[in-house]
Amino acid sequence: MSEVQLTINGQPVAAQSGQTILEAAQAAGIDIPVLCYHPSLTAWGACRMCLLEVKGMRGLQTACTCPVADGMEIQTETEAAVEVRKFVLELLFSERNHYCMFCQLSGDCELQDAAYRYGLDHFTYPRPYQKLGVDASRKYFLMDQNRCILCTRCVRACAEVVANHTLNVRERGFESMITADLNVPFGDSSCVECGSCLQVCPTGALVDARSAYGGREKDVMHTETTCMQCSIGCTLDVVTRYDRLLRVDGVWEAEPSRGLLCVDGRFKPLYDDRKRITQPMIRRDGKLVETGWEEALDTAAAQLKAGDVQGLATCATSNEALTAFQTLFNKMDGEAGLLEPLAPDLDYGTKAKLEDILDADFIVVAGAKPLDYQRVAGYFIYRAGDQGAKVAVISDSETEMSARADMTVSYADADQVVQAAAGAQKIVLIYSIGIKGKVLTAFRQLSEQLFYLALSPGRNEQGARAVGLQPLALNRAATRFFLLSEQSEQPALLDKLNRAFTIVQASYLSPLVEQADVVLPAPLWYERTGHVTSIEGTIKPLVEVLPKPEGVRDDAEILTALADLL
Amino acid sequence: MGKIKVASQWLESCAGCHMSFLDIDEKIVELLKHVELSSTPITDLKHPPEEGVDVGILTGGIGNEEQEEEAKLMRERCKVLIAMGDCAVTGGICTMRNFFDLDEVLRRGYIETESTVDGEIPQHEDLTPLKEQVAGVGDVVDVDIYLPGCPPSAEAIWFVLSELLEGRMPKLEGDVLKYGMDGE
Repeated sequence: MSEVQLTINGQPVAAQSGQTILEAAQAAGIDIPVLCYHPSLTAWGACRMCLLEVKGMRGLQTACTCPVADGMEIQTETEAAVEVRKFVLELLFSERNHYCMFCQLSGDCELQDAAYRYGLDHFTYPRPYQKLGVDASRKYFLMDQNRCILCTRCVRACAEVVANHTLNVRERGFESMITADLNVPFGDSSCVECGSCLQVCPTGALVDARSAYGGREKDVMHTETTCMQCSIGCTLDVVTRYDRLLRVDGVWEAEPSRGLLCVDGRFKPLYDDRKRITQPMIRRDGKLVETGWEEALDTAAAQLKAGDVQGLATCATSNEALTAFQTLFNKMDGEAGLLEPLAPDLDYGTKAKLEDILDADFIVVAGAKPLDYQRVAGYFIYRAGDQGAKVAVISDSETEMSARADMTVSYADADQVVQAAAGAQKIVLIYSIGIKGKVLTAFRQLSEQLFYLALSPGRNEQGARAVGLQPLALNRAATRFFLLSEQSEQPALLDKLNRAFTIVQASYLSPLVEQADVVLPAPLWYERTGHVTSIEGTIKPLVEVLPKPEGVRDDAEILTALADLL
Repeated sequence: MGKIKVASQWLESCAGCHMSFLDIDEKIVELLKHVELSSTPITDLKHPPEEGVDVGILTGGIGNEEQEEEAKLMRERCKVLIAMGDCAVTGGICTMRNFFDLDEVLRRGYIETESTVDGEIPQHEDLTPLKEQVAGVGDVVDVDIYLPGCPPSAEAIWFVLSELLEGRMPKLEGDVLKYGMDGE
């Protein structure tokens, strides 16, 4: 990379060789209109909105694909360029249904913005009024072909961000259409509903079922917080209006996943219809009844003081709450630990960041199902595979990852993977609690080039490790249990707890809550404050997106109040 | 400056554009100092006078033959023709029927709607025939000024009229160029 000097609209601009004209212009604060370009996707040069004049070059150039060169003289808004852009817009508006008055994206639409910019005040060409399909076969978002301008941002997001390759363009020319797999309904396709395409669509073609018509950009609030649906810890941009959750977007610049979210983080939490607990409850005459905080905490504290208590936490809460939980049990000298198992750290190799997957040339997935439980990590493996990394799966049963892997072997043949990985420059070993000691031993010989990523089932498992909480078996002899943010519905656990006095701190009604003796209502993911530790060990903020209902208290606050009562 | 004569007519339209015109509020007093309102849907005169007007305003799309005739009459009798609102500019929301056959639209509207009992498609020699497709005003006559919006804001309407009063052809951009309800 070397610095090159050019001028844009007469203004001297310093750029790096290898940059495109668009990148150089944007860095210099010069606005060039785009439609198919998206900074997180490969430049495509398809929409022709960024056409401009470069002195000495024949015809107009697409700024998004044309590399800068020393001495270039660029004019972005010449008469010829503006005329072409208007022409392109007039054609786009004539092709399908671009009537803004009944479009959910009106006000936030990039096509509309471009038309405003070039003063389009009416349609120039006749419209064919084709009746194209609206595909609502997926639960969370729709595809309205009538609004599509075929910019292919969605196709590229599907191929490059999530690397799932569901979307493509079928037919040619006027007949071109975005399609899923071999032209099947989106709901029947290989789509994993990560929503990356929805987030990049510049028009109203991809429609979020929940937030459509719910508020324009100027009406809504954005709050960044951290996803707690698995241990990865992706950054969420939560969109709200009038204290209502509208939508979740990924944040392109934010580690660890850089904009990529999965269905568990982006959509599912907004559709949770489990019944909420909003008041403390105690069991009175065999029945669970609502009460005030004072009585609930006093009742709980009295039981804790009586001793013989075991504390069990799931890691679905903040670092602050896990610390307060540990402090509470230290104070009463009780036994506290985690309900969920932890995947062991390795005592060799280097701890991987998520992005290490992308520049590895050999990836091993052992005893883990990232595509089920830590999907974003799974999609990163897809991406690495697309870039040429070899992917090996070690598992005794077929996993979804096998379909995209170069080899799948059973544990008995794990040595084959070690041999295959031997020549690699950078190996990432991704594993979960299912990994066997034999595999861990076998990879030790490759420790110099080995990075490891442990996918534990606990959501804030890194936060739990940091305060020293370790998995703990249920003590059958204990007569009292304290369960923190427990959402488990394992019948065996319920049965064991049924005979003891149980205090449960949780957010939703569940079979466990229904058999508890004291229930302390805790906030939901979007009401929490504090911090969570990502899979990479980064401490990330939990920001209160919406206020807690009255009657619900912060997790750490509840635990501290209990400790004070002891 | 003498008063300029303005006529307006609504075609296939919901009346929202005329309501938005009234939303210019007290500025209408200022406007009336310079403007003489001729035929409008809210005055007694139903058609622009034969001697013509300076400015003609059409709201609504062209959905039937009568509307096409009205548009042609206004074009003949005005010097500057404004197509006001998305329906006049593009056919607007009325074009939703363009995605279906006319027969299908009538059957759905008059017979198949859930609230209809023993419906029939009205047929009478006094009823004007529907066009196969709804069009914008510009598809049947020449338009001088397109003022999109559903409806265009009172500010945008005021901008266009005040520019004309100043003797300039208005150039719509910025806050006065909005489509649909984006001006809200």
